[in-house]
Amino acid sequence: MVLQPAERHCGDWSHRRLGPWCSPTGSPAPLSCETGCGEGTWILVCRLLVPTQVSLLSMEEDIDTRKINNSFLRDHSYATEADIISTVEFNHTGELLATGDKGGRVVIFQREQESKNQVHRRGEYNVYSTFQSHEPEFDYLKSLEIEEKINKIRWLPQQNAAYFLLSTNDKTVKLWKVSERDKRPEGYNLKDEEGRLRDPATITTLRVPVLRPMDLMVEATPRRVFANAHTYHINSISVNSDYETYMSADDLRINLWNFEITNQSFNIVDIKPANMEELTEVITAAEFHPHHCNTFVYSSSKGTIRLCDMRASALCDRHTKFFEEPEDPSNRSFFSEIISSISDVKFSHSGRCIMTRDYLTVKVWDLNMENRPVETYQVHDYLRSKLCSLYENDCIFDKFECVWNGSDSVIMTGSYNNFFRMFDRNTKRDVTLEASRENSKPRAILKPRKVCVGGKRRKDEISVDSLDFSKKILHTAWHPSENIIAVAATNNLYIFQDKVN
Amino acid sequence: MEFKLEAHRIVSISLGKIYNSRVQRGGIKLHKNLLVSLVLRSARQVYLSDPCPGLYLAGHPGAPAPPQQPEESAAGPPAGWGEPPPPAGRAAWPEPEPQPERPAVPEVLRAGDSEPAATVTAAGDTLQGGEAEAPEAAWRRVEGPRETAVGGAGGPAEVSGVFPEGPEAARGPCGCPPGDEDKLSAAPRVDGCRASRPAAAEPPASPPVCARKRGAGWVGGGPADCPAPGSTPLKKPRRNSEEQPGGAAAAAEEEEEEEEMETGNVANLISIFGSSFSGLLRKSPGGGREEAEGEESGPEAAEPGQICCDKPVLRDINPWSTAIVAF
Repeated sequence: MVLQPAERHCGDWSHRRLGPWCSPTGSPAPLSCETGCGEGTWILVCRLLVPTQVSLLSMEEDIDTRKINNSFLRDHSYATEADIISTVEFNHTGELLATGDKGGRVVIFQREQESKNQVHRRGEYNVYSTFQSHEPEFDYLKSLEIEEKINKIRWLPQQNAAYFLLSTNDKTVKLWKVSERDKRPEGYNLKDEEGRLRDPATITTLRVPVLRPMDLMVEATPRRVFANAHTYHINSISVNSDYETYMSADDLRINLWNFEITNQSFNIVDIKPANMEELTEVITAAEFHPHHCNTFVYSSSKGTIRLCDMRASALCDRHTKFFEEPEDPSNRSFFSEIISSISDVKFSHSGRCIMTRDYLTVKVWDLNMENRPVETYQVHDYLRSKLCSLYENDCIFDKFECVWNGSDSVIMTGSYNNFFRMFDRNTKRDVTLEASRENSKPRAILKPRKVCVGGKRRKDEISVDSLDFSKKILHTAWHPSENIIAVAATNNLYIFQDKVN
Repeated sequence: MEFKLEAHRIVSISLGKIYNSRVQRGGIKLHKNLLVSLVLRSARQVYLSDPCPGLYLAGHPGAPAPPQQPEESAAGPPAGWGEPPPPAGRAAWPEPEPQPERPAVPEVLRAGDSEPAATVTAAGDTLQGGEAEAPEAAWRRVEGPRETAVGGAGGPAEVSGVFPEGPEAARGPCGCPPGDEDKLSAAPRVDGCRASRPAAAEPPASPPVCARKRGAGWVGGGPADCPAPGSTPLKKPRRNSEEQPGGAAAAAEEEEEEEEMETGNVANLISIFGSSFSGLLRKSPGGGREEAEGEESGPEAAEPGQICCDKPVLRDINPWSTAIVAF
């Protein structure tokens, strides 16, 4: 294990690499989206771990202290619940990767720049910035604790040198500005070099302060706090394509915000019944259309998706389109409602399709066809017979996310036992991969895994009963233009890259 | 039979989840509780519709259970089940059922689309359709399907004492049947709140219901420990829920002996908890529908910034979760 010295003077170092990595190839990775997942081979780029004792040190911390802190970093034994990653998101260029965890922290990784000296390091992600986004709060009126867990992070497109992202917990959305500082002013008249005030009587000459280069520092500051607008738990945020507004969705309502205005928001969807006893469904996810700033979709716990047009009316309670697949009566069970609840909805990059994830399947819908999805992929249908056990251990309530690749040709979602699945929409091939510590060697090639559903189990197959349901991959992200994926497994973040032949 | 056991088990598990949700960090998760309530309702439907004669009544060994369901819906409970108690038995069968309560029953009764549940559905429809009906009549119809599952040993009095669903004001959740205490204690206790508790273990004086709306008369006429509507009625659900897990285990062992009692309890429990967001816990400050309805606007007004666990908001989120949450 080699501890790499800090290259950036981040406020707090929380990342430890596990050894020198090889770059996938020497040349810049070509846009390999078109190869899909079937032809490509996936290799591990790096596994990133955020240990518990992250001390949010001051920005002026020196290198020695950082090294001491690094040496205290342990491996997995430190993992606590606060380290469980709860959201993963690439920014629009893929240069930055943000993760949020249950402890309310946001850790941003930056992709290693390609350089002649260290060609092999291209493709790795290093910690860029870490900050505490949300703190646990207590509602004294209700005697209720508000979790600090980061539910979602969404990046804003970059418009200047700084990066902006939205992070949200159950109740409050915050806009963070992440900026670099590589110069500092020197030569003050009233302060000496250590910052102590000088006696004005001793000043005989005046000078103009100048900016001198300093070690790069990344600082995160909260620029906006959007609070007190949600009675229920926020499950989604989505930045509009106009880059001026965004929406936040909780169980029963969706609010539209302007980035500049924090003390009010517009309510655009309200499905709260007049009588709560009549409640039959809740909102589970919502997203703006990638190009049309007036269009958004939201999914429900009943397995339906509604597409709304904000031009139609101020309150979009009446949908423009309604996507629902009739239920298969042969599959009816006690848990039919639970497994049909949609846990994630994502527009394709083209904006022509939406993808939804329910407990057992991923479905792709064409916006022009409301009565059924155009594609349905079984993620782990072998669990259908185990729904009762999964209900008992609460796994049936897990909310898996799903992602598109850059060209909308491949979709990916997570499963149990640290498995994640990719489906190639064109070749109709799928693959199951595992994000595990055993495969953590550099450039380790991921071997496709297979779950044995019955009968004779082959040598490298795993039987359904051996699956570890505590290891679940709920959050994944795909680089917007390259075949780089980030997979969050509990407190580990795995980054895989498609090995180009 | 297996379905019944399975449904029973699922009900127990679901109730345990609802109970545990109150102690989870971050407050009650509306989505999860909604799903759990849907499971509860499905299990209840299966439970009630699964034709297993002999499981229903100890006192009516020959009474066929399923065939009655179609008839009940039409004309109230069949004679074999005994007459529903006259409304006078309840001190305050008031006005027609308030609007908010209507959805509760139809919600439950209407949910199924399978054949066995059709009767339940029909009952629900009649109830719903009869907005202007006399409360008594509506009550009878509602009672019909339920009574199939009730351990109605002893006759109408005991049975009636348990299900005050139907037209009743939004009183406190204490479901103590007025004046029926003696009978109830003698008979196998049909306790709406306890799924699968062995009969022997049940304190006879315990109020039958945690989270059911009861008429004011119910409250007034209940046993001594039946508290006035308000905060204390909430204690019932917690107590009952707490006893749930233990009771479930014990019940499983003693199932053969306590079949009918347990079934009745579960049925009651299911009927109560299973009606997903029925007006289980309509908290009324002083009792009285008007106040309860007035409270409805309270949560609306108080929403911004509120999360849950407040009385009005509790009610909004999940009535019987709120009961549990209140503690």
